Amino acid sequence: MKQKIFTHIRMLLLFAVCFYSVSAWAQTNAISGRVTGSDSGALPGATILERGTSNGVSTNADGAFVLSVQPGATLVISSVGYTAQTITVGSQSVINVTLAAAATQLNEAIVVGYGTSTKADLTGSVVQLTSKDVANAPVQTFEQAIQGRAAGVVIESGSGKLGQGIKVRVRGTASVSGDTQPLYVVDNIPIVTDNLSSTGAPTNPIADINPNDIESITILKDAAASAIYGSRASNGVVLITTKRGKSGATRFNLGYQTGTSQATRRREFLNSKEYVELLTEALKNAGRSDVSNANRLRNYAAGVTVDGNYAVDTDWQDQVFRKGSFSQYDLNTSGGTDKTKYYLSGQYSTQEGILVGNKLQRIASRLNVDHKATDKMTLGINIGLSRTRNDRLPNDNAFSTPLQAVALAPITPVIDPRTGLTSGALDLNTGNPNNNFPFYYNPLLGVQNNAATYATFVYRTLGNVFAQYEIIPGLSFRSELGLDILNQDEDQYLARVTSRNSGPTNGFAFSAHTTSGRYITNNFLSYRKVLAELHTVEATLGTSYEERKQNYTSVEGSQFASDAYRKLGSAAVYSAGNSELTRSSLLSYFGRLNYSFASKYLLGLSARIDGSSRFGTNKQYGFFPAASLGWVVTEESFLKNQTVLSLLKPRISIGRTGNQGFSDFASLGLFTGTSGYVGIPGQRPLQVANPDLKWETTTQADAGLEMGFFDNRISAEVDVYQKLTTDLALNATVPATSGFTSQFKNVGTLENKGVELSLTTRNFVGDFSWTTTVNAARNANKLTFLQGQPILGSFVSRAQEGFPIGTFFAPEYAGVDPANGDALYYVNRANEDGTGTGVSDRSKGTTNDINAAQLVPVGDPNPRWTGGLTNTFGYKGFDLTATFIGVFGNKIFDGGAQYYSVAFNNGPDNQTRDQLNRWRKAGDITDVPKADYLSGNGSGQSSRFVKDGSYGRLRTLTLGYNLPGDFVKKGYLQSVRVFAQALNLVTFTKYKGWDPEVNTDYLSNNTTQGNINQGIDFYTAPQPRTITFGVNVGF
Amino acid sequence: MKKIVYTLATALFLAGSLTSCDKKLDIDPVNSVRDELALRTSSDVEAALVGCYTGIQNAEAYGGYIQLMSDLLADDGEVTFVGTFIPPNQINRKSMLKDNGFAQAIWVNAYNVINRTNNVLANIDKLDTPAKRARVEGEAKFIRASMYFELVRLYAKDWGDGSPASNLGVPLVLTPTRVLDAASQVRRNTVTEVYAQVIADLTDAEAKMPVNSPAASFFANKYAAATMLARVYLQQGRFADAGSAANRVISVNKYTLNPSYADEFFSGSAAGLLPNSPEDIFAIQISAQSGRNELNTFYSIDRRGDISIEDKHTDLYGPTDERGDLFTTSSGQTYSNKYDDLYGNIKLMRLAEMYLIRAEANFRNGTLLGATPLVDINRVRTRAGLAPLAVLTLPAILRERKLELAFEGFRLGDVKRNRETIADPAGVAVPWNSRRLVFPIPLREINVNPNLVQNEGYN
Repeated sequence: MKQKIFTHIRMLLLFAVCFYSVSAWAQTNAISGRVTGSDSGALPGATILERGTSNGVSTNADGAFVLSVQPGATLVISSVGYTAQTITVGSQSVINVTLAAAATQLNEAIVVGYGTSTKADLTGSVVQLTSKDVANAPVQTFEQAIQGRAAGVVIESGSGKLGQGIKVRVRGTASVSGDTQPLYVVDNIPIVTDNLSSTGAPTNPIADINPNDIESITILKDAAASAIYGSRASNGVVLITTKRGKSGATRFNLGYQTGTSQATRRREFLNSKEYVELLTEALKNAGRSDVSNANRLRNYAAGVTVDGNYAVDTDWQDQVFRKGSFSQYDLNTSGGTDKTKYYLSGQYSTQEGILVGNKLQRIASRLNVDHKATDKMTLGINIGLSRTRNDRLPNDNAFSTPLQAVALAPITPVIDPRTGLTSGALDLNTGNPNNNFPFYYNPLLGVQNNAATYATFVYRTLGNVFAQYEIIPGLSFRSELGLDILNQDEDQYLARVTSRNSGPTNGFAFSAHTTSGRYITNNFLSYRKVLAELHTVEATLGTSYEERKQNYTSVEGSQFASDAYRKLGSAAVYSAGNSELTRSSLLSYFGRLNYSFASKYLLGLSARIDGSSRFGTNKQYGFFPAASLGWVVTEESFLKNQTVLSLLKPRISIGRTGNQGFSDFASLGLFTGTSGYVGIPGQRPLQVANPDLKWETTTQADAGLEMGFFDNRISAEVDVYQKLTTDLALNATVPATSGFTSQFKNVGTLENKGVELSLTTRNFVGDFSWTTTVNAARNANKLTFLQGQPILGSFVSRAQEGFPIGTFFAPEYAGVDPANGDALYYVNRANEDGTGTGVSDRSKGTTNDINAAQLVPVGDPNPRWTGGLTNTFGYKGFDLTATFIGVFGNKIFDGGAQYYSVAFNNGPDNQTRDQLNRWRKAGDITDVPKADYLSGNGSGQSSRFVKDGSYGRLRTLTLGYNLPGDFVKKGYLQSVRVFAQALNLVTFTKYKGWDPEVNTDYLSNNTTQGNINQGIDFYTAPQPRTITFGVNVGF
Repeated sequence: MKKIVYTLATALFLAGSLTSCDKKLDIDPVNSVRDELALRTSSDVEAALVGCYTGIQNAEAYGGYIQLMSDLLADDGEVTFVGTFIPPNQINRKSMLKDNGFAQAIWVNAYNVINRTNNVLANIDKLDTPAKRARVEGEAKFIRASMYFELVRLYAKDWGDGSPASNLGVPLVLTPTRVLDAASQVRRNTVTEVYAQVIADLTDAEAKMPVNSPAASFFANKYAAATMLARVYLQQGRFADAGSAANRVISVNKYTLNPSYADEFFSGSAAGLLPNSPEDIFAIQISAQSGRNELNTFYSIDRRGDISIEDKHTDLYGPTDERGDLFTTSSGQTYSNKYDDLYGNIKLMRLAEMYLIRAEANFRNGTLLGATPLVDINRVRTRAGLAPLAVLTLPAILRERKLELAFEGFRLGDVKRNRETIADPAGVAVPWNSRRLVFPIPLREINVNPNLVQNEGYN
């Protein structure tokens, strides 16, 4: 067999060689062509060199060239900022080449706040990703596509539900009660990213942006880079630049991809036989009689006696997980003349989630136009319109959320044989719900026949107009007006069949409408001048004003004539209504000065003054300066005559940023009118004023070293940083004798410090290219002062002085007493500092009374190390990209385990299979306590449910093939690329739950606890494993 | 062209900077109102007064906790708290921890209400007419005094225990809080000072409040103030003053006993409303949309049913005592039926109490103000279906008071002023002046206010 294949290949090769050589002889020696960049249009000035000779030429303004070559010649095509390509001429007379933009080139333009710079001139810590990193990924939002791509930027999708909030942390969590997400700026306009969901689970307003419209994503990490965004920059800044048109022929690009997705993993639960065995044992141990046990099982089994012949074995995960689908259609066109350029795109994307009933659709379009009105004046408009529909699922903690079906017994049939209806359907005789069969509400009832629906529609307009005028050469003025309008409709209906869960309402509906409007004006001057060819001065000075207004109205009602009426107009009872409005404004002045001497010595200064309506009257304006220095050592003469080191650039920075991500009127003394007394209007004091309320302040120092070796075949960057956050705004406890219990005050401090590494090696260049990019980051978070009082989160999470935010404090599980099967806990010792916590002290022995055990730190949900590894291979038209991501050293609290991993000690919920290892007789050594029905043995929240959440994952794998140019041309096309890709193909973890990338949705949005609740698993949907196939056609 | 562009650019730049003065940052909230704008008109202040009523309607005040926790603390084995809440359990066992959640909640809410009343009183000049001014001032002082009276009874030693002039009471805060500063770190006033403030407020309230409250019949009037004053004097052992205050309520002939004791407490439907009756001097109003009857939550067999009534209590009722019929036994637990209306008003002040106070005061003082003690006691007995007594003793009066007012929040005050010794569930005797019968100053308060001295036994 082996030999046969070999022969085939040999014959194929022989045939190919003959074919090529014959046709080569037939060609003339003159060739022509055009060179373009992967991220731009024509590349003027690119070099085309016949390998092994000095015969070469440069491209003209259109990127075109003509060159005569020897037969059998090989061309080397190169351009600054792009990866060189080698092409065998063969029989071709026309060679069109697209050069890939190189990731680590010094002259690459880097988007910075209110301008651009180059990698060489930068003195701050910045990561820039490009369209190729986000385009066509089978995800809803671009953050998901860049997971693991940037050192120190930790991105986590808390659950596999679609369109849900995504956690992005740049260099750690820098706030306890305030916003911790970075500031997002699209084409110079900060956009609304606040969660606007009416349910407890957050949604993600970034899902309204089509990732395929993105040209570049720049993440500003240190103060030198981000301080120009002032009071909103402490969590980092993400600058998104959308694609723009290039002059030249009009191009069209059509993309289509489709595929399927499935849960990355399932948990293992007991099957019918095991369920009966273990439950019976637990019941017997609890002293229940055989007769009552048989009755119980019969009830669970829809009235059928459970004996050796009982055949029902329901895997409830099969009922709620499904093969989801992903389809996306893209069409964009760009082009223009020297005067007017445009980019126009449209996308329809639809994805069905891995859980029944979950769906996300997006229709997005964008038009970006640039027009040169005069030699000096440019005008333009960028506008993105989108409509996103998200069919959402109930929160993780709801009995009605599909994944809670796993709690049902495997002996319960999906269809009740007595009625032929889904188990738990309404009793046909009374119309009332079956209140004890199954033993919990069956979530399938809601997802069948659209009985329970929650649809969110978001209509988003994101646009800006700008004008730029060159006053004198080097000095230009730019004025921008941006608008971000978000209209959101939420419509919920719960049909009668759900009444066991939603109450006897004869249909329940909820409807909410949110309008969020924001306008921004930026006006700034930019200046650049090179003096005496040595001194380069760059300066920016400007002002910005923005105003935001958010309106919310909701109504709920019940009693519908039938489930066919689902809108509130048909409700007989209106049970609640609400209407709220909130506003804020921000007035800013900013400036930046960069100076470079002989491209060797770099100095950067920037500052912003922010005045915010959120700040107290005594602290209305904040000042946020930053300074940085860089030294390009390789520009020094003593390093000129060597080839090893192509770049050596140490840089340092220090600066101050702020965070004002808290509620709009936290500084004011307020009265509320919600104190009516049985129908008579009343009011009362609500909040005590704090005229001193101000931004949270982060002072960040950063030292970095950028290195390049062997003509940048190897490039590396190392950063160490320390972020000290002071004036943390917390709800500080105040004497209740004042009539108030808390005041929002700047009282706390915390720190983040860490190190970041990134390394890119171009292992092979040429026909076969192979590039490896690695990044890794370590961040250590510590709460240094919280007024001495812990802030409790949910389950066992808390913010406690001296520990990282979200550390789990719980009794420490000590395993099972071999003598009697009792769960044991270490008593440990009370902390002498009076903080109400304990410290580990094994000498105090163990106890079976969980209340007698001290609460000690038992796990940190913050990862120690995060990173990514991307390998890109190219050969001829093929390309293969694989990105592994890793998150290490974090702990998960499995909040659902107290129900499903406690050997029936907390009720009849089906149990995970590991519970079969329960203690059975004296002398058994196991960590699963004795099964004793409802005894609570071992089910209390303790370190027993704290698990290692480290994981490594093949996040993306993409294989693409660009069809050969001349083949494509025959179909009057410019380019054809086919590809296959996989998301989350393989996951390596010790975590036994559904997925280690987890944070339950219903706890991640709480305004006081959202930052504290981390790494909590509670019937949380796993991530999808998605595989798609697609094609991109250019014409 | 160039000129136009320059002008345009300059204009834009200026628009962005100079005109955007501080005013742009001055944004008014809409959902709520700035405190300096909340109390500008007469009706604003009246609405703030309504907010005071909402405050005492809260669960943590007369919505139920004050009455229930007083009775649990003073219980002598006549009830058992069988619920899962730990704080009431501690209170019933008379071994509270200093972080007892209910002790904290009652304190926090009471001072919240006091701040509401202080806001009203500080803006009393905003009211349109002298009549309105008098009414609003009277009602606010009535509510403030009621909260201070409850606080000083729960968180301090009894009036009769040692020297009230040196015993620590609770901090007196008499002005609205606008800022938090060093002055917010208040100290405890003495028991005498607190009682003096309470009596001053109530006396002024009684003088200023109308006979009938205008807006709705359920706001407090002159007689509610007199009733509260009677309670205060009774607690101090000032029997002449107590009897006189009670007599002022009775002699106006505005109130009459409900012919049926059961009807006073139950409308006949467990999901129903229980309106005020002619017997009610002041009641906390509850409706489906407003307030929560927490006594219903804890006592009712239809709800949590956390309070198990023991035979030691039910055995006290004579065979024909209709008040003894207000109990249901189910699955071995006996429940009181006094609070079976889900949305029942909470009868805070009933005429029967006034008869009992006048009788006790007259009896102890040997006076005959209004009526003889025997007549007053027999009025209460006859209504309950009992035979009139021929001879009266103090124990008989106190026993009548205990049964008539059972589970209405009177036991703690009575145990202390009558110097009874009770037993905790473990059978350990607890005398009337035991530190175990005084709530801890909430731990949260001690933590944030170093000027507060903790009560004995909680350090």
